[in-house]
Amino acid sequence: MNTDDLIAELAGAPAPQPLNTARMAGSVLFAAVFPAALFLAALGVRDGLGGYLMQPIVALKTVLPALICVAALAAFVRLSRPEVSRPGLGWLILPLAIAAALVLRSLITAPSEAWFAEVSAFNLAECMGGILVLSLVPNWVALRIARQGASTAPRLSGLLAGLAAASGAATGYSLFCVQDNPMFFVIWYGLIITIVTLASGALGARLLRW
Amino acid sequence: MSDTEELWSGLMRAANRGDAQCYARLLHAISPVLRGVVRARGRALPPDQHEDIVQEVLMAIHAKRHTWREDQPIRPWLFAITRYKVADAFRRRGVAATPIEDVAERLADEGASAAIEGMEAAQEIEHLLSVLDARSAEIVRALKLREEAPAQVAQGMGMSEGALRVSLHRALKKLEGFRRRNLS
Repeated sequence: MNTDDLIAELAGAPAPQPLNTARMAGSVLFAAVFPAALFLAALGVRDGLGGYLMQPIVALKTVLPALICVAALAAFVRLSRPEVSRPGLGWLILPLAIAAALVLRSLITAPSEAWFAEVSAFNLAECMGGILVLSLVPNWVALRIARQGASTAPRLSGLLAGLAAASGAATGYSLFCVQDNPMFFVIWYGLIITIVTLASGALGARLLRW
Repeated sequence: MSDTEELWSGLMRAANRGDAQCYARLLHAISPVLRGVVRARGRALPPDQHEDIVQEVLMAIHAKRHTWREDQPIRPWLFAITRYKVADAFRRRGVAATPIEDVAERLADEGASAAIEGMEAAQEIEHLLSVLDARSAEIVRALKLREEAPAQVAQGMGMSEGALRVSLHRALKKLEGFRRRNLS
């Protein structure tokens, strides 16, 4: 086909709707909140949640994944513009640094028998399985929505989609979870979030090319 | 360079309001730039495939045109899409785009495409000016391209300002006629 003919054809197409990144973010957030809300409605939040949230360390179990979710989601939608190659990952440093400090604090102050006291097959399966299941819908929605954009870094977009989805899921799950030892929730929440993130990155590298 | 920025973003804004003519003009204006980028980076590919890649980039720009923000400069957006699609086109043909280290390539890229664009614009103008005699062409260059002061130009060419104005007017008329003949 002649390039001039191609241009004539392209020019005949109707004008597009501009990309709305706020709506993109809103859709992913809704996709994260909805299954978590269903889950909590069915199984209930933990007993005495309000009181636990007053304890700073326990509150961080909810606040840290929420911060990571927001930072990842913001970077994710920024990256949907082709000219953006650095989506501003710096905001992730703060929650990650606090999480690392929590683990370090436990290693120093808690006796070594207490480090992995709550680790059991059931507890790990419940926690990691719960977060994994809750992250599936938002992750799928985020990857679908990313195709509306034009990320020139498809793998990074996929990674951020997974990170936002899994940390959003962990935020909701944390209201149900009764494990308050930072050694437990930082390590095992962190592990399942990392697994989902890496899987989503691999998917993004395939699905988000254009 | 800011001229193309203003021109292109103006055309794209009009295109986003549904002005197909402006959109076509924009795509025509960027095609030679894309050709330059593909030529510069695709030495490993036979030239007859270059135009295919140019068309792939044009189609990508078309498919993703809703991702440009009207309050942002358009050139970084265009070049980001071009860089991505050219690399993609080469990869799918199993050819490495002229292998340079990634960062150096990115830096060189902006400069190279700007230079190519400038060169092509200059060539086009020189081609147009070649229909004039040397003296008239120089008058157009001095007054319209370099924007020198008429008094100075007149003095340098040994003619009165009035005569200079008349010569310029005739030259521009001739160019206009030439353009019209070539467009229709």
